[in-house]
Amino acid sequence: MEEVFAYPAKWWNEAVIVWLVVAVVIYAVTAIPGLYFIMKYRFKPGEREIGDHEKHGHWGLEVLWTIVPTIIVLVLATYSFAVFKKQRTVPEGALTLKVTGFMWGWQVEYLDDKGNTVKTIVTSYNPTSYEVPEEQKIVVPAGKPIKVLLTSMDVIHAFYVMPARILEDAVPGRITYLWFQINKPGEYWVFCREFCGTGHSHMFAKLKVVPPEQFTAWLKGGTDLAKKTADKNI
Amino acid sequence: MREAVSVPWFSAGLKEWIFTTDHKKIGILYFVTGLVAFIIAGIFGLIIRFEQNSPGFQVVSPSFYNYLLTGHGAVMLLWWAIGAHIGGFGNFLLPLMIGAKDVAFPRLNALSYWAFFGATVIVLLTLIPGNQIKMMWTGYPPYATHPDAGVTAFYVFAIHLLGVSSIATAVNFITTYIRMRAPGIGFWNTNLYIHSLIVANVLQLIGVPSLGGAVTMLFLDKYLGTNFFNPSLGGDPLLYQNVFWFYSHPAVYVMIIPIFGFFSEILATFSRKPIFGYKSMVFAIWGIAVVSFIVWMHHMFTSGIPDWARVLMSYTTVLVAVPTGVKIFNWVATLHRGAIILRSPMLYTLGGIFMFLIGGLTGIPNALVAIDLGIHDSLSVVGHFHYVLGMALTMGIFGAVIYWFPKITGRMYPENLGKISFWLVFIGANVLYFPQLLAGFLGMPRRYPDYPPIAEWVALNQISTIGALILAVGVLVFLVGMIKGLTSGEKAEDNPWKSPSLEWRTSSPAPVDNFGEKPPKLEEDYHPYKYGAPPTF
Repeated sequence: MEEVFAYPAKWWNEAVIVWLVVAVVIYAVTAIPGLYFIMKYRFKPGEREIGDHEKHGHWGLEVLWTIVPTIIVLVLATYSFAVFKKQRTVPEGALTLKVTGFMWGWQVEYLDDKGNTVKTIVTSYNPTSYEVPEEQKIVVPAGKPIKVLLTSMDVIHAFYVMPARILEDAVPGRITYLWFQINKPGEYWVFCREFCGTGHSHMFAKLKVVPPEQFTAWLKGGTDLAKKTADKNI
Repeated sequence: MREAVSVPWFSAGLKEWIFTTDHKKIGILYFVTGLVAFIIAGIFGLIIRFEQNSPGFQVVSPSFYNYLLTGHGAVMLLWWAIGAHIGGFGNFLLPLMIGAKDVAFPRLNALSYWAFFGATVIVLLTLIPGNQIKMMWTGYPPYATHPDAGVTAFYVFAIHLLGVSSIATAVNFITTYIRMRAPGIGFWNTNLYIHSLIVANVLQLIGVPSLGGAVTMLFLDKYLGTNFFNPSLGGDPLLYQNVFWFYSHPAVYVMIIPIFGFFSEILATFSRKPIFGYKSMVFAIWGIAVVSFIVWMHHMFTSGIPDWARVLMSYTTVLVAVPTGVKIFNWVATLHRGAIILRSPMLYTLGGIFMFLIGGLTGIPNALVAIDLGIHDSLSVVGHFHYVLGMALTMGIFGAVIYWFPKITGRMYPENLGKISFWLVFIGANVLYFPQLLAGFLGMPRRYPDYPPIAEWVALNQISTIGALILAVGVLVFLVGMIKGLTSGEKAEDNPWKSPSLEWRTSSPAPVDNFGEKPPKLEEDYHPYKYGAPPTF
């Protein structure tokens, strides 16, 4: 079995490929005859000065290219519905993070089973660089589903987990959610994807995916992850 | 009462321009205003492109960048994609194509223009430092009510004035079409451009009040302390998004459907044959209009609305592909067994249809909710709507300018400049927007002046910049062609393209009273696409 890098990115990638194949086929079916007609039926003085006035239309053809696209898009939408259901159904046993957006950063709270906050990380606004201090990285376990509850303190933001190809808005007064799972340890980008003002392009975070045992130690042990990382050299 | 004016536009004085109620002069005023706005917003776009060319802040500050984005978006959409061609070409062509003397309410028409002009003044005032608006053309609260967003009042009042203008124009055009057609013009032999124009104005009439309501609530919230969108006092920011997109999604069809009309007119003329499937074309535009009002939530797929609403709107949205597909297939079928002449308006039309095809196909992933969850608010959305609303629309307008240039000015647009500008615009646009589609699928968010140095993003953005420069040169060549055509263009015949359509049956440039005292006499079996004699050019 091939190794899956991240969810729901896996299904998203498949859906993109399905769309791409359909789009390329429709493109070819439309553009190739179009180009061929442009080449073939040119105006030639004395020979071809006027187009065919007999065919004003053809009901059969017109019905055909109404019904076939209807079927294609309905099938695509139904497929998308099926994928969407997986994207929105959080697997059992997910770790829950409560993320609150503000201008311009994130507050991340790690919740236990009862919904109590175990640990909190707040990112600071850095208007010029994309460096992140070690203690501000959002640490999550590899290979485990993560549920993110989202809200905002001020304006609307959006939490985009780039490796998982999923986003959801953080709206003040509402709690929205998304879930993801990344199987390969490493550092990944998180961006704000809903326009939120001057600092929008610097409202980001670094997601640090570590092996589960290391995560448990980090969650209990405070902020000495930097040292541990250096020791284990992942 | 003012005397009926008998001065044609090219010898009209300033007083006549200000007080005119002539649909042709008002059309020219609209178009020129829209074109100036297009040039300014285009320069904004270029600065945006240079800023995004590489990571870091090189050209402008992030706050000024947000002003540029807001200005570019609002002006391109509301001035260029609505004002310039609905106000401009719609005014000029509607009475000519249906054989009327003027629109139904000429003075209301003048009011429409001057309201549009007032909005233009307001939007130009934002160029003054301190007046800048930075809430994006969508103006989402709570950000739009936040001090960081700038002077929201300018945004609200510009939209109110444009709304007055649009509603008056819509009432005017719809009445004109219903009441003032020359004898012999019925529903089934009206030009497709007129059908498109009427559909667009019906959408305006139904939709604009909704937008007016949205921005009025925004104004009340920001300046008078109401709480429509303030969640801490019982409001809801998503209310704005619903009310805003209820108009602003149909608005994209207001923008593009008349362009489809241009495509149909030009395609038929330069294929020398009737448009294929005329009736299904009419059904298709009305079909798009109806569906357009039940798809707005696809702009809110990630906003936290219930999942069932997202799926429902995903289904309705993909249905838009059906009537637009019918139109594209009918255009391709029109080419079949034609006698195709590749003059520059035809090149622009074929190029515009090509751009729309790519734009349409890249719109599908935005409609499919599962894919949208990964590309919402990414650069690929920017690429998508610049294919459809950006370039298909601009190429449609450029083609229309060259095609109706003889009827408007009495001179021909220089063909060589038309061809050169077409190739520059076409190549430039594809080099500019295709990389944006890719960057979005690779995760790059939109509205980012700065971004981390991710190699693929940087490379794609730099290719885009090259495309933007080519496109800018193309637009410049097109504008030079307009000036050259106006000043030293070849004198035009009354019907240079040998089109059977009604607007070509009066002299060039169109005289003040259009067809003289009496409505034009039409043959029994008049149809705008019945081509006879070959053209002489």
